[in-house]
Amino acid sequence: MKSVTFSMLGAVCAGVLVLGGSAFAADYPSKQLELVVPYAAGGGTDLLARAYADTAKNYAGQAIGVVNKTGGAGAIGLSDIARGKADGYKIGMGTVEMSMLPHMGQNAAFTIKDFTPIARLNAEPSAISVNKDSPLKTVEEFLEFAKANPGKIRIGNSGPGAIWHIAAAALEDKAGITVTHVPFDGAAPAITALLGGHIEAVTVSVQEVASHVDGGNIRLLAVLDNQRHPKYPDIPTLKEKGVDVAVSTWRGIVGPANLPADVVAKLSDISAKTAADPAFQETLKKMNLTAAYLDAAGFKDAIEKDNAFFEEFMAKLGIGKK
Amino acid sequence: MEQLTMLLSGFATLFQDPWTLILAVFGVAVGIVIGALPGLTATMGVAIILPFTFGMAAVPGLTMICGVYFGGVYAGAVTAILLRIPGTPAAAATAIDGYELTKKGEGGKALGVATFSSFTGGFISILMLVFLSPILASFALKFSAAETFALAVFGLSIIASISGSNPIKGLMAGFLGLIIATIGLDPMGGFPRFTWGIPDLMQVPFIPVMIGLFAASEAFKTIGESDIAAKTAVALKNIIPTRETFRHIAGTVLRSTFLGAFIGCVPGAGADIAAFVAYNEAKRFSKHPENFGKGEVLAVAACESGANGCTGGAMLPMLTLGVPGDAVTAVMLGALTIQGMQPGPLLFRDHADKVFTLFAGMLFCYVIMLAMGLGSLRFIGKLLQMPKSVLTPLILALSIVGSYAINNNTFDIGIMLVSGVIGYVMQKYDFPPSPVVLALIMGPMAESNFRRALTMTGGSYDFLWTRPITVGFLLLAAASLLLPVVRYLLARRRSRAAAA
Repeated sequence: MKSVTFSMLGAVCAGVLVLGGSAFAADYPSKQLELVVPYAAGGGTDLLARAYADTAKNYAGQAIGVVNKTGGAGAIGLSDIARGKADGYKIGMGTVEMSMLPHMGQNAAFTIKDFTPIARLNAEPSAISVNKDSPLKTVEEFLEFAKANPGKIRIGNSGPGAIWHIAAAALEDKAGITVTHVPFDGAAPAITALLGGHIEAVTVSVQEVASHVDGGNIRLLAVLDNQRHPKYPDIPTLKEKGVDVAVSTWRGIVGPANLPADVVAKLSDISAKTAADPAFQETLKKMNLTAAYLDAAGFKDAIEKDNAFFEEFMAKLGIGKK
Repeated sequence: MEQLTMLLSGFATLFQDPWTLILAVFGVAVGIVIGALPGLTATMGVAIILPFTFGMAAVPGLTMICGVYFGGVYAGAVTAILLRIPGTPAAAATAIDGYELTKKGEGGKALGVATFSSFTGGFISILMLVFLSPILASFALKFSAAETFALAVFGLSIIASISGSNPIKGLMAGFLGLIIATIGLDPMGGFPRFTWGIPDLMQVPFIPVMIGLFAASEAFKTIGESDIAAKTAVALKNIIPTRETFRHIAGTVLRSTFLGAFIGCVPGAGADIAAFVAYNEAKRFSKHPENFGKGEVLAVAACESGANGCTGGAMLPMLTLGVPGDAVTAVMLGALTIQGMQPGPLLFRDHADKVFTLFAGMLFCYVIMLAMGLGSLRFIGKLLQMPKSVLTPLILALSIVGSYAINNNTFDIGIMLVSGVIGYVMQKYDFPPSPVVLALIMGPMAESNFRRALTMTGGSYDFLWTRPITVGFLLLAAASLLLPVVRYLLARRRSRAAAA
């Protein structure tokens, strides 16, 4: 009798467990989601995350809490996402640094394999920008001058080993020129130095110089992308000029590795609807951010492509792992 | 006087809009709370409030953000003076003399002076922003890496004047700060230094170090005291400064305000640097420099007017050129962009009416800050009447929460506790903590700009003597650093001679 009771109890328990398990997946998300941002509150990545959370909560049916985990040029927050429980309740803002940091001499605690890509939301290409008073009027003049005067052109970037440093280095490599790299603590101080005439050019994104281009203080020479920039269709790409370099920063939603397939499907669905929502698009436009939605598969390809590029390129430049 | 007319019409628009006025009051209140909590800085307050303004019209939203900014910069002083917990990095300078005043039972006076000085500094700096922006804006762009390096060296030289009775121990503390500042990612090469493979050490979290050195060390010290159950102090009195006090501090406040506004204009230099420089200059101009560090009300006045003078200064290049002067204005730049008011040369042409209403709102925020500050001081003063046995655990809890809150990282709590123990030992052997904080702010700034300047000149050291602003700052630095040490050595020789 006793043993029967026990086995029945066991069966019931097992049943509850199985039901509970499937109920979990079907109900997902049944509680608040956490969206980890590896950068400080108020920055571009943070604003994008907050705009996403604000719209996506309507499609998720749950609140989405934005948590900033900063430090180590993004490494702290990205590790936190990678280490998260793979249940779909901890997702994060993945940035291009995901594919860069693992190849730098910093012992990053993750590789791109530790993440599940869900959706890319935004991308910003690099551009060559000069001061309005610069004698270099076109990208041809720029490249010619750089070839004739190795090291004379000082290009400001947003930090050593950061994405715009790589962009300038890639430009050097592919165009066969030599420039002087001047790292700053972020894109804004580099732009300030360009405005003050203390350096010759910057390779930060089109978006970061846009207000100064519109104000007439900075001139765009070329965009480092595969196609022209929608906001400045008159500015050529470097590719058109025979220099095959395209470097962009990107931001998107990622989760830890090994997320259950149905969770990925649900999150992809939420992200797709959010990216298509006019309110979200309007906020992006206000922030001067360029929408560049890619679904999970497309995002995964893009990340892998970048990862291979940075791995090879950083080793070549000597900023890679020893 | 076109600006005056515009400003007056800005006020007219402002007062027709009660919603903006209410939001300004709300913003200042939030700012004061955030600024008073250790670890939560004005920058963070602005970033937290920013998403709430997305749905608002431009002027009300931005006025509220300014309220948070101003309140946050001011309120860091309250806990610095009462409890030796600098709520913000700038308040680390205020804590030096402010807390000494509290220990002498003059906390009320210190808080009153701090409030009035913050108000005056901020209010005048906004007026400078309204009337002098074209002149000061072009000045901001003159600052290249060489000039910023020299400013940072000048900042480091201030260590000598904030060292208290023994400048040699102050210099040693400063060097400790410089050594700590080398931990983390190399600012120019990007390689990790002294991190032992721990990613959390790649950027030295400076605020936990500050909280540990000041607040936690003080708490540890109190735990060891025998009268821990006793009530600490009497109620705050004399909050409204007397006429003599006003006359006494007026010159210092004005000088510090101009210094603060000027430093605010310099890209990359913020309220923390302004407060320390103002302290240094107040001491240099004082007839009794020996009182500094022992509870000098002029020091509190200088730090607070300098820090708040910085607010108008930092917004100046942000609004006129579109380049942020410090971390807070970088976030505000985003706020303006989202409101469709792209900062830069076109802002005043395309949105002049909104900009001048915003200026009016900023001035209104400062008036509110004065009223709220004075109104809340009596209430805040009750803190002091708590027995230490209750207050000390509260301070430790706040220190832990504040350290965690900056990066949401538990590692930072550990850093805070280690710094607390170091701070306790330093205090026992009479080493001042503020030089460590100053070195942590200025060290990385000096290093990265020195190396950046070298990169930009192709390795030539000529920038050290060919650029007038650089040379001027370096000479000032030499004077600041050497004079107190020479004076101390002379005094010691004299007293030895007298003894012999």
